[in-house]
Amino acid sequence: MAEEHAHAVGAKKPNYYLVWLYLLILTIAEVGVAFVSHLPDTWLILILLFLAVWKAALVAMYYMHLKFEPPRLVVMVLAPIPLAILITLTVVMMEIR
Amino acid sequence: MSTVPIEVGHPSVQHWAEPGHADDRSFLRKYVFSTDHKVIGCQFLFMSLFFLLVGGALAMFIRWQLGWPGTPVPGGAFLGEAKAPGGIILPEFYNSLVTMHGTFMIFFAIMPLLVGVFGNWLIPLHVGAADMAFPRLNMASFWTAVPAGLIMLASFFVTGGASAAGWTSYAPLSAVPEYSGVYMGQKLWCISLIVLGFASLMGAVNYITTIVNMRAPGMTWMRLPLPIWALFITAILVLLAIPVLTGALIMLLFDQTIGTTFFLPPDGGQPLMWQHLFWYFGHPEVYILILPAMGIASEVLSNGSRKPIFGYRFMVYAIVAIAFLGWIVWGHHMFQSGMNPYLGATFMTSTMIIAVPSAIKVFNWLGTLYRGNIHFHTPMLNAIAFVAMFVIGGLSGVFMASTPVDIYIHDTYFIVAHIHYVLFGGSLFAIFAGIYFWYPKFFGRMMNPVLGKIHFVLTFVFYNLVFFPMHNLGLDGMMRRIYDPNQYEFLQPLQPMNTLISVSALLLGAAQLIFMFNFLWSLRRGKKAPSNPWNANSLEWTLPSPPPHGNFATMPTVYRGPYEYSSPGRDVDYWPQSEPPDGRRGGGREGVRA
Amino acid sequence: MEGMKVYNLKLGMWVFLLSEVMFFSSLIGAYIILRFAHPEQWAEPNHVLNVPLTGFNTFMLICSSVTMVKAFAAIEHGDQAGLRKWLIATIILGAAFVGIQVYEYIKLAGHGFVPVAASYAAEGGPLYGTTFYTMTGFHGAHVTIGVLALIFTAVKAFRGKYSATDYGGVEIMGLYWHFVDLVWIILFTIVYLI
Repeated sequence: MAEEHAHAVGAKKPNYYLVWLYLLILTIAEVGVAFVSHLPDTWLILILLFLAVWKAALVAMYYMHLKFEPPRLVVMVLAPIPLAILITLTVVMMEIR
Repeated sequence: MSTVPIEVGHPSVQHWAEPGHADDRSFLRKYVFSTDHKVIGCQFLFMSLFFLLVGGALAMFIRWQLGWPGTPVPGGAFLGEAKAPGGIILPEFYNSLVTMHGTFMIFFAIMPLLVGVFGNWLIPLHVGAADMAFPRLNMASFWTAVPAGLIMLASFFVTGGASAAGWTSYAPLSAVPEYSGVYMGQKLWCISLIVLGFASLMGAVNYITTIVNMRAPGMTWMRLPLPIWALFITAILVLLAIPVLTGALIMLLFDQTIGTTFFLPPDGGQPLMWQHLFWYFGHPEVYILILPAMGIASEVLSNGSRKPIFGYRFMVYAIVAIAFLGWIVWGHHMFQSGMNPYLGATFMTSTMIIAVPSAIKVFNWLGTLYRGNIHFHTPMLNAIAFVAMFVIGGLSGVFMASTPVDIYIHDTYFIVAHIHYVLFGGSLFAIFAGIYFWYPKFFGRMMNPVLGKIHFVLTFVFYNLVFFPMHNLGLDGMMRRIYDPNQYEFLQPLQPMNTLISVSALLLGAAQLIFMFNFLWSLRRGKKAPSNPWNANSLEWTLPSPPPHGNFATMPTVYRGPYEYSSPGRDVDYWPQSEPPDGRRGGGREGVRA
Repeated sequence: MEGMKVYNLKLGMWVFLLSEVMFFSSLIGAYIILRFAHPEQWAEPNHVLNVPLTGFNTFMLICSSVTMVKAFAAIEHGDQAGLRKWLIATIILGAAFVGIQVYEYIKLAGHGFVPVAASYAAEGGPLYGTTFYTMTGFHGAHVTIGVLALIFTAVKAFRGKYSATDYGGVEIMGLYWHFVDLVWIILFTIVYLI
């Protein structure tokens, strides 16, 4: 049990303000892409989703400390993501014939 | 800085029972708002047996109407003029009966029996823990399930009666009160299941944490008893499937109450979306209802055959495979819904693949029985019946998975026969096996074996007389929720068979009174149970019956898997998991070598 | 004792968050299906919604995440004053988020953008309002519950219940709070930008 703690605290501390700055810049970039640029819809959606996933990953990895957890927990946490994607993709398939 | 945070349920502060230490909890803390997993398991048992009784009673009304259409139900005056004028069941009330029978049986009887009762009873004892990881959350789980059940019961007594849109509540029938004539009842149905979802969720979080984190030293994953593996995978299914149902129910409730338009076609809503969301939850739910039963049957079969379970690892892999495949087959409930045909072919294939891990399990059970020293005690009889009935139910499942066949038998009594073969023949027989098997451990008394066997034989015979002919009814075209088949000329010749089924169903219901009597009578008058009546190996049998609050006096150490029966070189045919290898009793292999 | 090298409370919280992922997937999934089926019912977001205001709200939620993680970092080192200070900051930011969202709802409803199909009067169609309010509403409910839980945590912090060796309550509070932030990141993109 003590080794877990060493793992969490002893590891290099992320700079929380730097992550915050990243998130801020990415948010501004998102709003910029959405309203200032004039990209075709497909590109717009792909870029926006990419940025959103990037931001979500930053929060999960640094603020939720996922980067510093045992690999088994990380695997467990990521396991349902394919299921979540599956449900949306399949039902979208049902609409696009 | 060098220690971890300490909280309730942390292994290092587990409350190990002190022998001889008087239990000074008040009555309320001990039996009502108890955080002891054993008491909560018993509370779930009484609650779900009550709802099993309710669901069974509803089935009796259904069978009366189908067996003797349009004749007054005995005691029908009790139902009231609005539901059954002169004791004759109205079509509207019949719809409610069918809906609520399914709802009660699935959500309030079988699911809590398997997950709530056996999860609570077995998990901490089998893994060697003092209690669940979060005992108070566990208590909250039960006390959330109770109001959910009461809300569902209450829906019978509101104006318009209980929900009548089927247990699947397909929208827009369920979304627009005018369509089904049920106003308040349908909303209460949604609310009740949302509340029950919270209870299931709390249970699942507890089970997963306990199994992952609180196993006794030496209790590696591959030494876990199979019920625990099954409950672990089930808890994962509950955890990930129930929220999807909750989301769908909330949307449905919003459609009914505040006037949103998720499932209503006039404003662009998608009725098919309800089916997708419902069955995305619904198919994992099917495995929630069968996996723990498989685990219980494995435990009892190995014990009753006095042989190690055949292919332990493959049993585990099969459970995992079934659970995984269970996520990608939900569309087989929707072949007839107008879904994209390419999607139908995919779902058909994935569904048929599930037969492979299921068959692995069946053959492993047979391999366990083969040349075993079989003891035909009551739990064993029920477990064997489970295997046989599961094979029939499973095979008809493969049959229906084939889209062309399904087009013919969709929404007929064939489906009803199939679901009852897996849910009654499968799950309920395993539940009976489990209750007979663990009753001595939790109530300290044996159930009467003679009454148990009579109950088993009658249940088995009448059960098959009820549900096997339903296959034929379905193939002959009788629709699944039909109120009176005689309205169609082509169904009129089926009436004698329907009457046979109804007579058998009433007798099946009556046979359950024997179980009820046995259960209640044995609570006080049963033979005192020894600590290990079945000569079983897992950790709970080393404890007195019933185990004290806090379970183990000291933390047990586990040396071997749970199915080491008839080990050569020992003078007893069982080998408890926590017995040290030097073999103070009987002398094991190691003992002989030394 | 066999097990994952993560203490129970934290493991339990993660397991719970997995179910939350599935809950929001069902809502987002429904949104995607409906939008694919009836794209004509959606308007340009900035025609109907107040994107700059919500952008500011997003900024506040991100700030509340950094204050929450600072609270956790403080108690990890036994810094009681730091814990209290950052928790209070998180509560204020979270409450402000809820407040702005309520204000936004009132404004939008005033323009006929409502979840009720029968009285929908804004640009686009009723599905737009239906999905918008359900998704942001359930996120808002999660934030509200989060603020209440934060107040509870803060009360315990002021009573000195946490320490450098017992900070599980703060850590799982943080996990929940960051998760809510994470959901908002996804929702903001798909509801307000796409």
